[in-house]
Amino acid sequence: MAAPIRETAISQLRRGVLEFCVLALLRDGERYSYELVRALGDADGLVTTEGTLYPLLGRLRREGVVDTTWRESPSGPPRRYYRLTPDGQAALDGFVIEWTRFRGSVDALLGNGVLR
Amino acid sequence: MTTDTIHPLAAEYLERLRRAGRRLPAGRRRELLAEIEGHLSEAIEPGASDAQALTVLDKLGDPEGIIAAEMPRQEPPDRRGAREWTAIILLLFGGFVFAVGWFAGLILLWSSRAWSTRDKWIGTFVIPGGLATAFVALIVLGEPEKKLCRGFPGGAQHCTNAGGSSAASSILGVALLVFLVLAPIATAIYLAAMARRDRIRL
Repeated sequence: MAAPIRETAISQLRRGVLEFCVLALLRDGERYSYELVRALGDADGLVTTEGTLYPLLGRLRREGVVDTTWRESPSGPPRRYYRLTPDGQAALDGFVIEWTRFRGSVDALLGNGVLR
Repeated sequence: MTTDTIHPLAAEYLERLRRAGRRLPAGRRRELLAEIEGHLSEAIEPGASDAQALTVLDKLGDPEGIIAAEMPRQEPPDRRGAREWTAIILLLFGGFVFAVGWFAGLILLWSSRAWSTRDKWIGTFVIPGGLATAFVALIVLGEPEKKLCRGFPGGAQHCTNAGGSSAASSILGVALLVFLVLAPIATAIYLAAMARRDRIRL
C-alpha cells in the first residue's frame, strides 16, 4: 500500500511545481509551446508525459498568468507564443520565496533523517 | 490540416486524440488538437522513421491521458449532499412538524459522515427543536404579557399589564427569544460550513 501513496505524493508534487517552472521559463521573454514543452521534458524527473503539458498551458492561459499570440513559423503550422502577464510575474516571485523556504526545511529534515 | 505531410503514426495518434476528446468543450478540443499537431510537426521531421515517430509519441503519452488532463478540473467534492441539507433544514424547521421533523433531522445528522462527533453534539443541543423551540417559548413567555383589556361602553379600551411583569423580566424574555432564534440559525450555518470541510468521502 505504501508504494502507490508515495507515487501519488510525487506526482502531486510535480503537478504543483510544474506551472511555476513554466512561468520561470518565460521569465526572460516569450517562448512558443513546443519550446516550453521541450525544455520541461528535457529536465530530469520533472515530466513523465509531455502531452499533458498542453492542458497545463491552457489552464495557465485561462488563469491569466500567461498571454499568448499566434505567429507564423518559418516551417510548419503557426506557433503559439507565451509570455508572462504581470499576474504571472507576481505568482512566480511569490513561489520563488516560498519554494526556497520549503526546500530548505525539507532538505534539513531529510538530512536529519539520514543521520539517525 | 496538412495530414498529407504528417507521419502516418502521428496522424493515427491525432485521430485517437480527436476521438478521445469528444467529451471536451469544442473550443478546448480544437486548441488542444492544434497544439499537439504543432508539437508533432516540429518533433517528427518529414521522412522520419517509424521508430523516431514512436519515440516522440511515447514521450507525448496516451491521447486519453492528455484528454483526462484537459477535462475541466473537478472541484474538491462538496460534501453537502442532499442528506446533509435535509438534516440542516429539518433541524431548523422540523420541530414545527409535530416535533417529529426535528428528530428525523437528528437521525440524518448522526448518520451522516460529513460531520465530526463534536459537530453532531452541537447540532443536537443547539437548540433541541430548532426554531420551533423559539416559537413555543414565544407563546409561553407571551402568556403573562397578554394585556387585559376592558372595553368601556364608550368604545375606548383601557388596557393594563396583567401578571405585573416588570420591564426587566420582559427584556430578559426578549433576550431569551432572540437567543432561541439566533442560536439554531447559527448552528445551521455552522453545520453547513463544517460539512464542506474535508472529511471522509461521502
